[in-house]
Amino acid sequence: MMTDQSAPQIHLWAFLQGIGHYPSGWRHPQATPAEVFTMDYYRRVGRLAERGRFDAIVFGDQLHSRGAGGRTSERLAMPTLDPVTLLVAMAAVTEHVGLVATISTTYNSPQMLAERLATMDRITGGRAGWNIVTSAYATTAGNFGEEQMPEKSARYANAVSTVAEATRLWQQAEVPIPQGRPVFIQAGQSGDGRDFAARTAEAIFCPAATIDDGIAFRTDLRQRIAAVGRNPDAVRIMPGLSFILAPTEEEALAKDAALLELADLDLCIEYLAESLTVDLSGQDPSAPIPLEHILENTLAPREDIAKVLAGPASKGISLGDFATAYVRTPRGHNVFRGSPEQMADMMIRWVDAGACDGFTMQPAWMPGELELFVDQVVPILQEKGRLRRNYPGKTLRDTLGLGPLEADLAA
Amino acid sequence: MSRAFLLSVSTGDPRLNDPLWARSVLSAAEQAGIDLFVMGRPDARPFDAQVILGWAAAATSRIGIVAAVPAATSHPFHVARALSAVDFLSDGRSGWLPLSGDSPDGMAEDMVAAVRGLWDGWDPDTLIIDKASGRYLDASRVRSTNHEGPFFKVAGPVNAMRPPQGHILLVIDGADPVGAADADIALVSEGQVLPARRRLLKTSVDSDPGATAERFFRGEIDGAHFELNDAMADIALIAERFGPLVDAREGKTLRQRLGLALEEFA
Repeated sequence: MMTDQSAPQIHLWAFLQGIGHYPSGWRHPQATPAEVFTMDYYRRVGRLAERGRFDAIVFGDQLHSRGAGGRTSERLAMPTLDPVTLLVAMAAVTEHVGLVATISTTYNSPQMLAERLATMDRITGGRAGWNIVTSAYATTAGNFGEEQMPEKSARYANAVSTVAEATRLWQQAEVPIPQGRPVFIQAGQSGDGRDFAARTAEAIFCPAATIDDGIAFRTDLRQRIAAVGRNPDAVRIMPGLSFILAPTEEEALAKDAALLELADLDLCIEYLAESLTVDLSGQDPSAPIPLEHILENTLAPREDIAKVLAGPASKGISLGDFATAYVRTPRGHNVFRGSPEQMADMMIRWVDAGACDGFTMQPAWMPGELELFVDQVVPILQEKGRLRRNYPGKTLRDTLGLGPLEADLAA
Repeated sequence: MSRAFLLSVSTGDPRLNDPLWARSVLSAAEQAGIDLFVMGRPDARPFDAQVILGWAAAATSRIGIVAAVPAATSHPFHVARALSAVDFLSDGRSGWLPLSGDSPDGMAEDMVAAVRGLWDGWDPDTLIIDKASGRYLDASRVRSTNHEGPFFKVAGPVNAMRPPQGHILLVIDGADPVGAADADIALVSEGQVLPARRRLLKTSVDSDPGATAERFFRGEIDGAHFELNDAMADIALIAERFGPLVDAREGKTLRQRLGLALEEFA
C-alpha cells in the first residue's frame, strides 16, 4: 500500500474514565464494570493504549458530590476514583503513553497543585499533562467550606494567576522536573475558556459533533492563538470521538441500537438529570419537560440549561422522549458507527479538512470497544502512514511533537 | 487474632519520586518482608507522597504503603479521594500518616476526622452493579458528610468509594503526634506512650534483635520501625537481623495481615 510520509500524523488520546461513554455501556454483556476498581483493569487498558500508540490517556474530574441536585443516581455508573492516582498507577505499568490529569485551579492552592503535578511528572518520567479547569458545578463549593462558587470570570482570572504561580514554583524546584512542568491542556468552551486556552494551552479538548463544527472551532482557536503571538501549529486540537465498531456499517448500527436499548427510561432520565444537575426523580416522564422546575432547581448556569431546553419544551416534547433522545447524542461529541475502514477514512478526512489534529477517543463501553479500535483501526492508520509505529521519545512533550517549552507561557 | 511482630521503615529521600530508584527500594523492602513502607515528607521539594503512593500501589504487591500527609497543605476532600483510590488499586494495602508540621494546633486532628467522615459517607455495600436490573448502586447507602470542624467544613458525600479497608491504616509518628484516640499504629521513641492498637519502637539497625524480641514477647512493643538513611544498605541489614522475627503473613488486606480488625462502619 502506498504511504504518504508527509501527510499529517493523527494524534490519539484515550479518554478512559469509568466504564465507557455510553451511559448504558456498563450493562453491555461483555462490559466489566466491577473491574474499574482494580489494578488489573488499569494495567490492561494502560498497555492497550500504549499498544495503539496513543499520545496520552486523559481523565476528567469533578469535585462536586455525586448525584444530581442532591440525589445520588442509582442507575448511572459514575465510579470516580481519584484520577491522578489512577494515572500514576498506570505509569508504573507502561513506558511511553502520556498521562493527563484534570485539576481545578479553583479548589487547589498553587502550592498543592504544583507539588502534585511535579511529583507526577517525576514519577512518570516526564509523561504528565495538566488539563487546567476552573470547576463549574455549584455544589463543589460546599465540599471546600464555601457558600458559593466564584463567578466564571473571577475563576478564570484566578486560573491565570494560579498557573503563573505554579510555573514560578516549578522554576524554583530543588529537584529536576523532567518536562520542566507538565504539558498544559485546556477544555473550556466559553469565550473566557477559549481566550485562556489561546494564551496557555498546548493541547485542547473540545466537543465537535460534525466536521464543520470541528473546522469552526479549530479555525477560531488558531486565530486566537496567533492573535496572542503564539504559533498555532504548536497547539493540538483534539475533539472527543465516541465510537461503535463492527465488521460492517449495518452491524455497527445494530450493535449501537442494542446498546442504547439497555438505556431504559429511568437510566435516560437519570443521565439527563445528571447533565442538568437537577433532581428529576419525582417527575412524570410522559408530561412535558418541566422547564420551570428545572430552571428553579438546577445547580448549573440557568442560561446554559435554557439554551438546551427552551426549544424542545416549547414544542411540548415529553420529558421521557427528550431524555431518550439525549442519550443518543452524548454531550455534543461526535459518535461514529461503522466499520474499521470507514472509521479510519473518517478520521483522515477530518484531519485533512483542518477539523482537528487528532481525536480524544471515547469508547462507548470498556474495554471491548477500545480493544476493537486498537486491533482493527490502528493498523489501518499505520498502513496509510497516518499513525506512528513507534514513540519518538520519552516525554509527553516529545510524543505530542510540541518542540521546546515556550519559556514565557503563562508568565 | 494472632499478634504479629511488625517491621516498618520510613524515608523522606527525594529520590522516591524517581521511578528507577523507587522501584528498586520498594522491591528490596518487599523482598525483605517489611510490613510498612512510610513515604515521608523530604526536605527537597517538590514532593507529594500521596502521588507516589498511587504509583507504588501498582509497583508492589505485598508491602503496606503509607503516605505522610501534611495538614497544612492538604484538603480532606482531596485526601479522602486520593487515598481511597490507592486502597482500591493496592487491594487494601494502604495507610496514611497525618503530619501537623507547622499547621495550627488541632488542624491535623480536624483533617483526620473530616477524611474519615467522608469515607463513612459510603456504606461498604453501596455498590450493586447488577446489569440485569440496571441498578448500579443503592442511593440510600450514600450520605452527606456535613463535617464542620475548627478548620475544615466539608459537605460531602465524597465522589469516591469507601476504601476496601474501611478506613485505611492510620499511622501516627511520635515525633509529630497527631491526637487520635484510635490510631492503628504508633511509631514511638523509647519510653514514649501513645494510644494505638500497635506500637512500633523506633530503633536503629544496629540495635539488638534478641532484646527487641523479648520486649515484643513481654507485650511492651509490637514491632520495630527504622528510619532509612542509606536505604538499600539499611534494608539489607534489617532483613538479615530482624527478618527472622517476622512470621508468615496471611490475609489479603494490610489490616488482615497485621491482625487489625477492619474499621467498623461508624
